[in-house]
Amino acid sequence: MTVIGVARMITQRQDYESSIERSYQTEMVARVELQEGIRPNAARRTITAQEGKREDLRNSISGDTRDTVLLVAIGLIAGLIGALLLFAGLIATMRRPLEALVTAAGRLAAGDRTARVEIGGPAETAALGKAFNEMATELEIEAAQRDQLDRMKDEFVLTASHELRSPLTSVQGFAELLMMERDSLTPRQVETVEIILDNCRHLVRLLNDLLDLARSDAGRLTIRRKPTQMGPLIEEVVRTMRAQTESSGQTLTEHLEPDLPLVEVEPDRIRQILVNLLTNAHEYSPERASISISARVADGEMQIDVTDNGPGIPPAQVEHIFERFVRGDAGLTQRVGGTGLGLAISKSLIELHGGSIAVASEVGRGSTFTLRLPLSPAGAVAARDTRPRPLTEGRR
Amino acid sequence: MTTVLIADDSETILLLMRTRLELAGYTVQTAADGQEVTELVDPTVEGGPDLLLLDAMMPRKSGIDALRELRAAGLRTPALIVSAHQDPGDADAPTDLEISGYLTKPIDFDLLLGAVAELTAEKAA
Repeated sequence: MTVIGVARMITQRQDYESSIERSYQTEMVARVELQEGIRPNAARRTITAQEGKREDLRNSISGDTRDTVLLVAIGLIAGLIGALLLFAGLIATMRRPLEALVTAAGRLAAGDRTARVEIGGPAETAALGKAFNEMATELEIEAAQRDQLDRMKDEFVLTASHELRSPLTSVQGFAELLMMERDSLTPRQVETVEIILDNCRHLVRLLNDLLDLARSDAGRLTIRRKPTQMGPLIEEVVRTMRAQTESSGQTLTEHLEPDLPLVEVEPDRIRQILVNLLTNAHEYSPERASISISARVADGEMQIDVTDNGPGIPPAQVEHIFERFVRGDAGLTQRVGGTGLGLAISKSLIELHGGSIAVASEVGRGSTFTLRLPLSPAGAVAARDTRPRPLTEGRR
Repeated sequence: MTTVLIADDSETILLLMRTRLELAGYTVQTAADGQEVTELVDPTVEGGPDLLLLDAMMPRKSGIDALRELRAAGLRTPALIVSAHQDPGDADAPTDLEISGYLTKPIDFDLLLGAVAELTAEKAA
C-alpha cells in the first residue's frame, strides 16, 4: 500500500507541473494579444520581462522537482521496509498455524482420526484450520461407521459359519453312514453318495477358509507356537498328499537338508499352509507333472520351497495371487475345486509367524512358492501349551 | 458294557452320534441340553456313564456349564467337548474341567471313535 501511495504522489506532482506549464502559456498569449493592440514595443518588452519571470518560475519548479524526487525515494525506501516488515510479520503469524496444520495433516494421513488443529492466527489460517477440522470430523465419522460395518461383517461371518456347521455335520454324517453300507447300494447310489461327501468336504473347506479370513480381518487369528521339527512335519504332509498326486500320475518328491533346526511355529497351521501349496501344485499341474518340496536353512531362516513344472502363472496374475478370491487361469479353475482363499490365508498365517511367502513363476515352466520362517532363538524355551489339544488333525 | 452319554440340542446329530456309537458297540444315553445332563448324571452314585460327549453350546445350559457343575460335585468321568467352533482350543477354553479333548463339527468319526475307545479303555484299566 505504501508503494502505491508513493506512485500516486509522483503522478500528482507531474500533473501539477504540467498544469503550471499550461497556465503560464495561456497567460503569455493573452498578454501579448492585449499589448500588441496598443504598443508593439511595449508588448515585446513585456514579453521579455515575462520571459524572465518564466525563467524564475522554471527555476522554482526544478527546485520543487528535486524535493519531489527525494520525497519519492524516501517514500519508496520506507514503503519497501514497511512492506518487508509487514511481510515478515505476516509470515511469523502464519507460520505457527501452518506448521500445526502440516503436523495434524500428517497425523490424519497416518490414521490418527482424532487429529485437529487449534483455530487461530490470521483470518486466512483460521479459515484453513476450521476447514481442516471439519474435514477431519467427517473422516472420523466415516471411519467409525466403516469400523462398525466391518465388525458386523466379521460377526456375521463367524456366526454364519458356526450355524452352518450343524446341518453340515448331519449331511456329511448320514452320507458316511450310507457309505458304511455300500455293499447293499447300487454303483449309481455309491456314486451319488460320493458326490454328496465330496461337496460336504468342499463346504467345510470353504467355511474354514471364510472363518480364517474373518478372524484374520478381526485380528482374532492367533497361533500357538511350539518348537517344531520341520522334517517330520513335511514328511507327514507328503504322505497325506501322495494318494492324490499318484492318482494323477504326478511325482511328489521331498528334499530335506539334514539336521534342520527347530522352528517356533504352530504345526497345524504350517501343515495347513503346506497342504494348501501342494494341493494347488497338484490341482493346477497336468498329469505326470513333477512336484517337489524342499527345506533348508538360508540366510538365518528356514526356507521351504514348493515347486511344480505345471503351466505357471501369467505375470499379470502373479502380483494378485495372494489376494482373496483371486485364482489361477479360469480355464483350469473349472476343474480345480478350491475356494480362492487358500493363498490369502496362507499369507496371513505365515505373516503371523513372522515369516513371508513369495512366488516365482514362468508360464510353461512352472511355479515355485517359497516360505521363509524365522528360526527359534538359540536356547529359547517355548512356553508349553497347557490347554487341551483339539482332536482335529489337519484342517483340510 | 461301556456307556457314553451324548448331549446335543440337534436331534439329527444325536441320532447320528447314537447310530455311530452303537454300531461301534457302545451303549448310548442321550440328553438334549446341559440341564438334562446334570439331571441324568449323579456324581455320588457309581455306575454312571463311562464317558461324556457334550456339545459346547446348547440352550438352557451349555455342555461346559453342565460339566462345571458335575466336576464341582466331584465327578471324575472323562469328557469330550464337541464344538461348532473351528478352533475351540483357541478361545476361552476352560483349563480346570479336565476336558480330555475337543472335537469340531462336522465330526470326524474316525477321530471320535478313536478318542472314545482310548478314554474308555483308560477308565477300564
